[in-house]
Amino acid sequence: MKQTRILALLACSVAALGANAADIPDRPEKLKYPALNYSPPDAKQFRVALKAGPVAYVVPDRELPLVNIFILVRTGDYLDPVGKEGLAGITGYLLARGGTKSKTAEDLEERLAFLAASLNSAVGDTQGSVSLNLLSKDLDEGFAILREMLTAPRFQDDKLALRKQQSLQAMKQRNDDAADIEQRERRYLAYGEGFYFNRHSTQASLESLTRADLEGFHKRWFHPKNFVVAVNGDFEAAAMTARLEKLFAAWPFTGEVPPPVPTERKFAAPGVYLVNKEVNQGRVTILLPGIQRDDPDFPATQVMNDILGGGGFTSRIMNRVRSDEGLAYSAGSGFPGGVYHPMSFLAAFQSKSRTVAYATSIVLEEMRKIATETVTDEELNTTKKQFIETFPQTFATKRQVAGTLAGDEFTGRFAKEPDYWRNYRSKIDAVTKADVQRVAKKFLTPDKVVILVVGTKEEILKGHPDHPVKLESLGGGRLVDQPLRDPLTMKPVTK
Amino acid sequence: MTPKFLPLCLLLVLLTLPARAQKVPVIEKTLSNGMRLLLLPRHDEPTVAGGWVAHVGSANERPGITGIAHLFEHMMFKGTPTLGTKDYKKDVEIINEQERVRDLMRQEESVMRTLWRRGEITDLLNPDTWTPRYKELQAQFKKLVDAQREILVKNEFDRVYTSNGGSQMNAYTSQDVTVYFITVPANKLELWMWMESGRLLAPVFREFYAERDVVFEERRMRTESTPTGRIEEAFWAMFWESHPYSWPVVGWPSDIPAISKKQADEFYALYYAPQNLTTVLVGDFDPDQATALAEKYFGRIPRGKEAAPDVVTLEIKQPAEKRMNGEADTNPQVDIMWHTPAFGHKDTYPLAVLAQLLSTRTGRLYKGLVLGSKVATEAYAQQHAMRWASLFNVGGEVTDGKTPADLEAGLLAEIEKIKTTEVPPEELQKVKNNFAAGEYRKLSNNHAIMQALLRYDGLGRWQEINEAGPKLQAVTAADVKRVAETYLTKDNRNIASIVRKTGKNASEDPDLAGLSPQQLPAVRQFLGRLAEEKNVEALKARLKQMEEQSAKADAKNQQFLTILKKKTAERIAELEKK
Repeated sequence: MKQTRILALLACSVAALGANAADIPDRPEKLKYPALNYSPPDAKQFRVALKAGPVAYVVPDRELPLVNIFILVRTGDYLDPVGKEGLAGITGYLLARGGTKSKTAEDLEERLAFLAASLNSAVGDTQGSVSLNLLSKDLDEGFAILREMLTAPRFQDDKLALRKQQSLQAMKQRNDDAADIEQRERRYLAYGEGFYFNRHSTQASLESLTRADLEGFHKRWFHPKNFVVAVNGDFEAAAMTARLEKLFAAWPFTGEVPPPVPTERKFAAPGVYLVNKEVNQGRVTILLPGIQRDDPDFPATQVMNDILGGGGFTSRIMNRVRSDEGLAYSAGSGFPGGVYHPMSFLAAFQSKSRTVAYATSIVLEEMRKIATETVTDEELNTTKKQFIETFPQTFATKRQVAGTLAGDEFTGRFAKEPDYWRNYRSKIDAVTKADVQRVAKKFLTPDKVVILVVGTKEEILKGHPDHPVKLESLGGGRLVDQPLRDPLTMKPVTK
Repeated sequence: MTPKFLPLCLLLVLLTLPARAQKVPVIEKTLSNGMRLLLLPRHDEPTVAGGWVAHVGSANERPGITGIAHLFEHMMFKGTPTLGTKDYKKDVEIINEQERVRDLMRQEESVMRTLWRRGEITDLLNPDTWTPRYKELQAQFKKLVDAQREILVKNEFDRVYTSNGGSQMNAYTSQDVTVYFITVPANKLELWMWMESGRLLAPVFREFYAERDVVFEERRMRTESTPTGRIEEAFWAMFWESHPYSWPVVGWPSDIPAISKKQADEFYALYYAPQNLTTVLVGDFDPDQATALAEKYFGRIPRGKEAAPDVVTLEIKQPAEKRMNGEADTNPQVDIMWHTPAFGHKDTYPLAVLAQLLSTRTGRLYKGLVLGSKVATEAYAQQHAMRWASLFNVGGEVTDGKTPADLEAGLLAEIEKIKTTEVPPEELQKVKNNFAAGEYRKLSNNHAIMQALLRYDGLGRWQEINEAGPKLQAVTAADVKRVAETYLTKDNRNIASIVRKTGKNASEDPDLAGLSPQQLPAVRQFLGRLAEEKNVEALKARLKQMEEQSAKADAKNQQFLTILKKKTAERIAELEKK
């Protein structure tokens, strides 16, 4: 960052010319700034294809005596066998917490705690992860533990029993918080009952899990050919590469490459889906089918969504629903590009029961408006400048450099689009007002809108005396009672 | 690359644990108007993290205006005479006219409160029950809001930052402080000075009344519509007997809509005067230049006429154990809080070490209660240090089949062990090693360092960032035992014992209420399969079998079978109806 330091000095000399309050301009546009030239890190500078299999991103940083290693694993909940839902999650949890061949779980955790090292593992929807953060003086011992944990975990029986009990009790809370219900039902409506997002663990699937299941899952997927590694901190690059070669060499089992992530989704029929839950504030999510991040329209949808509801206080939904009307504390929209399949568009807010319908109508109106009228120059410029000017923050720390680059390797973006980050700002800058309107029209289709509401049905349907909007009329006139699910079976509860 | 914070003796230090604390070389300056500056140049990232803390929180409020400190946090984003409006003169006229109408509405609100006390209005927040006069004033007021909207430049304060690459902009309010922060590109330090000094010099509280509604939605979201929000709020209010910590930061529901702009103006003049503020900058800048810029921009804010008053009321010594038994849509849980001394007291450090000894998966509570007696599935402990008074807290979730009383007894037994036997050296060293490593981890990025400085300055002493480490390392086993004996006593404690609310929750079928925890899972599994079964004849056959079994069953299984029979019959009826 030598370059920026010189620029900072320049900035200072400019400011020093007149340290007098009388020179303060009346508008911020009149302030002058020195240029800040920034280039994103070049992946090739850090990328190492290890002989032992994985690709690693090795980023030295001698500021603090700490090392951070992060291993991404090609596995996921989507690989749970039928009837064994929850297996991936429990295997991921217990890998680092269930002991190793030579150490009981208790001895291992005690030793790590004494070293003030933090070892973690987890498996999510489409990836697993193992991480170790420790003082650099403990690297030898830490890597020995990591190797044994990855190749010979113990999955101690009592730890499995405890985790099952904890999971079962967490399951019982599934209907307690309206926010949890909303999160879950969003995914049912946007992706369909059979999609891998919606294969939740049940009491029966949880109880069926055995240590042999965990061992089988681990041996099948936790293999160097399924790993991508990010490592940053207090080391020399060559020495770290040698350590990583040793860490992954001569793996004691073969493992498999997992099948592709399923993509077969089913979006719900248009309508208002109302889950009755007695709380004094309704939670609303408006859903539409979405986009994949390598779609050529993705940069334009990012800009469009930012103007509509993604940009916080500068976005239209926040301005109307919160600042103008005081109808919600948080209100906005998201248009995440899916990695493996399109991810849904969503707009969401929470409002007191009686104003749920009115606030929903405002958000729908904004969605229609951005598809039928062009945005202003000021809106477009604010949004583009925001993406462009905050871009350096993507790589603010060495941990982010290693992690972001390894993520691209894992998801295939580096192979497909090696210049993604170098071109990022110019792609955003190229988006026009016409592009914004075109993608809004293409994706924000009113006839497909699915509206999920969680709250007190009776109050919500009453509406507000000052705003005669009926919730029923907003989803094409279709109001569906969306039942709660039994928390232990996930079957809809019929009254 | 050159080390930024590492002392030259680093290599020596790493040979032995504990590692010594790292000095964070903060430069402290005071501007001519009394505002303090904390500067930490750090040239790793091309950014500057900037924030300031107003030494005012909910503890500075009084009944009737609870929530006002937090309301300010919202109002400070509404702009200045130049940011946020197309026509400032007209803007001021409308704001004054709005106040006039609001005064009339406040008179009517007083009338409605009287009606409410007499039982003639059931819910002051329900628009259906407002008086005709109030509805009329409301309509008048709405016209003024619409007029103001014509000349508003919406959220311009945010827009300026956003289009200049500002990120992580936010603010928070606690019992002790109100904190505002953002990260800007390194070349935009002067913009930060312009923006922050501008809103402190001449804030305009436009959209004041819509923002109170926003805060009310925030209260609903965080407190009222969450499973345990109201219980936690009530437990907190019960814990503080005399101290103004007792009311919630977001304010009581009656007070939030009653706060007037006049009260807000007075509050601002007193607590947002420069001598009550500290600014923190961490990142890629030159400290001399930053100081000169700060004097130029912030220096123009006049010093406040009066010093902010001290919080006078002390928490009175608790005479006896206090207890709350509640029901909520949640798994059974226990929470215990004891009064402990304020931030800066020497006993804070042994209490922090004690909390760490009890926490984490290798701590006493997890080993004793989750792995050992298995009365809990999760357990936690913390020393929550605050500016005027603190608390020590332990708790956990009850394992199915055990009771809150079992967990409470277990938690208190672990505390008793600390009081009777000194912690072994190895165990104490483990905890100290983690505090020592934390000294490095806290320095990971500009934003995190800024937040730590804002927090410590808000508590009363930013130097804590450098001083806490050595003080924690100096804690002895005897200190830990002594503070447990001193503070974690029966008379000083407050216990909340929560069980799952029965009946109302849709996840709890009232038919299953009498079943034992051992029987419940089986019944649920049965019900799951039943819901999938579509063959009426098969169900009828099964029902008949159950009736035969039922005749032979003992009393305990009788109840179990009765439920299965009932549910099967209901499913048959449902299928036949289709």
